[in-house]
Amino acid sequence: MASTRSLKDLSRSMKLRRILRNIALTVVIYAIAIVYFSPVLYMFISGFKTEIQAISPSLHFTPTLETYSKVLSDSSMYGFLRNSLFQVIAGTGLCLLLGVPAAFILAFGKFRKKGTKEKTYTWFITTILLPPVAVLIPLYTWYQAFGLNKTPLGLMLAYVGFHVPIVVWMLHSFFTDVPGEIIEAAEIDGCTRFQQLVHVALPLVRTGIVASALLVIVFIWNEFFLGFNLTSNTTATLPVYMARFREQQGMFIAQLSASSTIAILPAVVLGWMTQKSLVKGLTMGAVKG
Amino acid sequence: METNVTAKKKRDWFFLLPAIVVVAVMTQVPFILTIIYSTLRWNLARPDLPVRFAGVDNYLYYLKVPNFPEIPEFYSIFAQTVLITVVTLVLCTIIGFLLSILLDNKIPGVNIARTLILGPFFVMSTASGVIWKATILNTTFGWYGVVFKALGLTPVDLLSYYPIPVIVFLFTWQWMPFFVLVILAGLQGISADLVDSMRIDGASWLRATFQVKLPMITHHIRVAVMLGLIFIVKEFGLILVTTAGGPGTRSYTLPYAVYMEVFNASNVGRAGALAVMMVALTLLAVNVLYRSIKKRGASFA
Repeated sequence: MASTRSLKDLSRSMKLRRILRNIALTVVIYAIAIVYFSPVLYMFISGFKTEIQAISPSLHFTPTLETYSKVLSDSSMYGFLRNSLFQVIAGTGLCLLLGVPAAFILAFGKFRKKGTKEKTYTWFITTILLPPVAVLIPLYTWYQAFGLNKTPLGLMLAYVGFHVPIVVWMLHSFFTDVPGEIIEAAEIDGCTRFQQLVHVALPLVRTGIVASALLVIVFIWNEFFLGFNLTSNTTATLPVYMARFREQQGMFIAQLSASSTIAILPAVVLGWMTQKSLVKGLTMGAVKG
Repeated sequence: METNVTAKKKRDWFFLLPAIVVVAVMTQVPFILTIIYSTLRWNLARPDLPVRFAGVDNYLYYLKVPNFPEIPEFYSIFAQTVLITVVTLVLCTIIGFLLSILLDNKIPGVNIARTLILGPFFVMSTASGVIWKATILNTTFGWYGVVFKALGLTPVDLLSYYPIPVIVFLFTWQWMPFFVLVILAGLQGISADLVDSMRIDGASWLRATFQVKLPMITHHIRVAVMLGLIFIVKEFGLILVTTAGGPGTRSYTLPYAVYMEVFNASNVGRAGALAVMMVALTLLAVNVLYRSIKKRGASFA
């Protein structure tokens, strides 16, 4: 009798301990998460201040939409926003247009020489390792000489060159997951390569395409080095606009906060939406690499 | 039939060729040109001087140690780059692992916490740089200055007194979420059965974490470190907006030095040599890491 009772007590106290432990864990995890994210959070909040309120850091103020509406109606940011949107839409579109067929063929294509596919794939991967600094000087001189820095197409070309390998890398692992028999069956049924890609393979790697497209969107949206060096005033993108705030000393904190909120929002939201497929694509690509 | 097969093989090239051409023209060709430039004496600011072959002079300019105890600038910039990258990667790995262990717990709304921690990774580096600089690190208008003054302390300008620790801190803030993303995926791949059996066997938390879980996710950690290295080494925007390499050259990294050599000194030859050395060192480091991943993968298969 006594022993069963103590057992019951024991299990009850263990349950209680687990509940307490979970509460403590929850508090700790949320505290860390909020502190970690607080600079972004504070930036978002500061956008609702007026400049005078923003001079001293505090969370005690009456929010106003004044600064956000001022920033949004300011034509100087518009140009940068438009350029960024162009780079993201046209750049990512072209990356997929070139990268998807390449990744498909690297998984299922047939070449005369054995090892062609592996070698080409490795070549694509190596270019991911190439830091943009390595190409800065020739690109900069070309862009100056041919006026490519005055058209958004110039920067877009550079972005496509740098991000097609990422599409190939991520999609390759998704394509190799598609059973080869399906493609062969389609081939025997008389499908052309193009039809095999569009009608058979593409529907099966939809997640991969979405993941790589979103990754490229986030990368291009946030890219600074090339955007800074290969553009002129009329073609520069949002990260370049944000860098312009680097000289001022707390004069326009509200404006800075509102502008950066607008600048980072698309990438952060997209990133959050895609964390699952992103991690799948990244780890799969690297594991099979 | 024979011709049909060759035609098919040719046809496969059409899918591949456009991508190869664009990537080659925008990355490979310029890189080869950079290598060629690195052997030239070529100054954009002095069009009166002829461009001529200089052999390895540009490399020697950086590497030579003329009066021995005095170490040339290149070595300190190189050391700063390695220091910033390595310390950032180590911090990202350790904090990332511990945080992933925490976030692997089942608590209500854990996804919200994960999402918040992931946030900084998607923030563009120039924006996070100016935000930290203006709203936190600023000695008059930032939280740091205000809190220090309220405590009766004198806030020193961290960016000019401790440029490298601040940069490491900001890099870590920005990149640690990426490590959490990858390591957490590894932790969640560990089967629930194994975790249960560990609990039944009475394995302590420490043992379960470091002796059982850690070895099972070393592969994920290596992947995170390798990708982190590739991306952190080329980080430029954050340095430009926070310290601008300063004070002096104390927070220069190799990419930043290349940029300054082109745009301030207009010295194409020297900048080329610097860029080539940087690429060589990056490839070397990545190669070592990649090999260790491959070996690991093979032993699993």
